[in-house]
Amino acid sequence: MDALILELKKEIIEVLNLEEITPEDIDENAPLFGEGLGLDSIDALELIVLMEKNYGIKLNNASEGRDIFKSVRIMAEYIEKHRTK
Amino acid sequence: MELNVISYSKITNNKVIYKGNEVSIQRTESSWFHDIYRSLKLSYPKFFKMDHLSKAGFLASELLLQEEITDRETPKKDIAILLMNRSASLDDDRMYQKTIQDKENYFPSPAVFVYTLPNIVTGEIAIRNKIMGETSFFVSETFSPKQLYQLSVTAFTDPDIKRVICGWTDYELNNCDVFLLLLSNENKEGIPFTINNINNLYK
Amino acid sequence: MMSERILVTGMGIISGLGYGKQATLDALCSKHSGIGKMKYLQTIHNYYPVSEVPMSDAEMMDSLGISSQTIITRTPLLGIMALKEAFIEAYLDKERPRRIAFINGTTVGGMEKSEQYYPDFQNTEAYIAAHDCGTSCEAIAEYFDGFDMITTISTACSSAANAIILGANLLKTGRVDVAIVGGTECLSKFHLNGFSTLMILDKEACKPFDAKRVGLNLGEGAAYLVLEKEQHAKQRGVQPICILSGYANTCDAYHQTASSPDGQGAYLAMHNALEDAHLHPHDIDYINAHGTGTQNNDLSEGTAIMRVFNDNIPPVSSTKSFTGHTTSAAGSVESIISILALLHNFIPANLNFNNPMPELSFCPVKDTLTKKMQHVLTNSFGFGGNDSACIFSKID
Repeated sequence: MDALILELKKEIIEVLNLEEITPEDIDENAPLFGEGLGLDSIDALELIVLMEKNYGIKLNNASEGRDIFKSVRIMAEYIEKHRTK
Repeated sequence: MELNVISYSKITNNKVIYKGNEVSIQRTESSWFHDIYRSLKLSYPKFFKMDHLSKAGFLASELLLQEEITDRETPKKDIAILLMNRSASLDDDRMYQKTIQDKENYFPSPAVFVYTLPNIVTGEIAIRNKIMGETSFFVSETFSPKQLYQLSVTAFTDPDIKRVICGWTDYELNNCDVFLLLLSNENKEGIPFTINNINNLYK
Repeated sequence: MMSERILVTGMGIISGLGYGKQATLDALCSKHSGIGKMKYLQTIHNYYPVSEVPMSDAEMMDSLGISSQTIITRTPLLGIMALKEAFIEAYLDKERPRRIAFINGTTVGGMEKSEQYYPDFQNTEAYIAAHDCGTSCEAIAEYFDGFDMITTISTACSSAANAIILGANLLKTGRVDVAIVGGTECLSKFHLNGFSTLMILDKEACKPFDAKRVGLNLGEGAAYLVLEKEQHAKQRGVQPICILSGYANTCDAYHQTASSPDGQGAYLAMHNALEDAHLHPHDIDYINAHGTGTQNNDLSEGTAIMRVFNDNIPPVSSTKSFTGHTTSAAGSVESIISILALLHNFIPANLNFNNPMPELSFCPVKDTLTKKMQHVLTNSFGFGGNDSACIFSKID
C-alpha cells in the first residue's frame, strides 16, 4: 500500500502539473480538493483519466470521482480493490 | 478621445522587455517560461497548468500590469482585454491531438482540451486580476498595427471602459511572439496611441 | 443627442433544423428538434446525439454552384449557405454599399477535414492548409467577392455574439457602413472528444434547466445578420427587420471553463446590456438563454437571471434543445431564433423539461407560447469566462 501511495503521489504531481510540490509535501490523509493542493474540477477529470490509463478503472461520471478522490489514501485503497492493470 | 500607452511588454524566445528595457532572466535547465516565472518571483501555482500560449500571455501581462494593478481581489469592470494572433491555439491543439492520435492508447486530456481555444489566455489574465470588462480574441494572418488600433479604439465605445489591455500573443512551433500594451483614456502620462507608435514599440 | 439606431436588415441561417429562416420557424413552432443520431460525422463516439445540418458537403457545394474540385471545408460551406440568405434579404446582391465589414466567429475552422485527411497528408495537403480559422472566413468572403474588412473572432461559444457586438461598435464609430456579423461551426471529432472528456455531453437529448440535466448535445450551423445604421438602410431602400437595441460583453474571471456559482459574469452581461439599451428588466418579454443543459451553466445562468430580474422574470427557454450547442455560431443562430420569436410573437419551447431545479425560482417555458413582444434578450457564454448578451427590439 505504501508503495502505491508514493507512486500515486508522483503521478498526481506529474499529471496535474504541480510543479512546486514534492511527494513529501502531500499528506496522504488530507483532502485533495478544497484546501491544501487547491485542485479544481478539471483536475478531477484528469484524475479520472489517470485511473483508466494507469489502473484500468473506468468511472462513468464526475460525481463518482468525488468520493474516491477524498484523499490519496482513499484513492489508493480504491485502486487496490478495483485495478485491472 | 485621447488614448495613451501607459505600459508595454514584450516576450520573444530570448528576450523579456518591460517599457523598453530588457529584464534580466536567470537561465536554468528549466524551460524559458518557467525561468521567467521564477525571475519575476511570481507565486501562482495555476501557471504550471497553462499551455504555452497562456503562459506567455500571462507572463507578459504580469510585467505589463505590475505598476498599474496592485489589488487583485476587487473586481475591475473598467478594463477590457483584446488580443490577436495568427496561430490561434494551434500549439495546444497539437498537444491535444497527441492524446487522441493512437487508437490503442486513447486518452483525451481534459486539462489540455481546455486550452484548445485561443481566448483562454484572456480568461487567465482576467482570473488573475479579477478583470470583468469586455474580453475578445481575434485571428489574423499577420500582426497588423492598423487592425489592432481600430479594434482597441472601438473597445472604448463602452463608457465604462477606462483601460484596455491589447496586443499580439502568438506561440507556434516553439516561436514566441508576444507584445502587450496597456491603454488609458484618462489622459495619464504615456505615449500617444497611434498606428506609428504601435509599430515603433513592437520593433 | 441620441445616436442613430443600429438595425438588422438581413438574416440567414442553417442548422440541424434545416436551411433558412422559414425552415427554422417551422421547426420551432412544430416543436421538431434537430437533435438525433449522428449521420455525417465519422467517430467511434456515435452514441452521442447531435444536431447535424441535413446536407452533405457535396450537396451544399452543388446548391452553391461550387465545383466539386474546389478545396473547401464544411465550416465555410455552412457559412456561405447562411450568408447567401442574409445577403439577398439585405439587397447586398443588388448594389454594394461602400464599406462593408465581415466579422466571422469560428473555432473549429477546417479541423474536420484536417482530422479526416491528415493520415494521408501527402495527397491531401491542400485540405490541411485550409485548417486555419481565418481561412474559413476568407473562403466565405471570396464567394461573395470580398469585403472591405474581414476578421475572425475566436472566443469559443460567445464568438458569434461578439461578432455582433464588434459589428455594432464599428458602425457606431463610423468605420464601416454595413457590418455582416455572425459565426459558423461544423462538427468535428476533435471537439466532440474534448467535450466528452470534460464529461459535459448528454448521451440522450439535452434537458436545459431540468434538475436531472446531465450535459449538452453538440450541434453545427451558421447564421449571419446584416447590420447598418437607420439612415443608411433608408437610403438603400432596404426593409429593416428589427433593432439591435443593446449589448454587452463581460468576463466572469472565475475559471477557464466553469462559470461562477453566483453567475457574476452573466449577471453583468445582462445588466450592462439592459443599461446599454436604456431598458429596465421588466421591459424584456423573453430570454433566449445560453442554457446548454450542463449542471454548471444552467445553475450559474439561472442564478444570474434571478439576480437581474428578481420577482419579474420573463419567460425563459433554451433553444439548444432544438439546435444543439452550435458553439462558435450559437450567438448568431440564437439571435436569429430570438428575432423570429419577436417578430412572430411566440416563445419557443424549452424541450425535454420535466423537473424544476430546486435552486431556481423559475421554470423554463415547456410549451410554445403565444405572446406579443417588444424586446427580447439572448445570452451567449463562452469558455474563458467570456459572457455576452444582446437585446433585439421591434421597430415601432
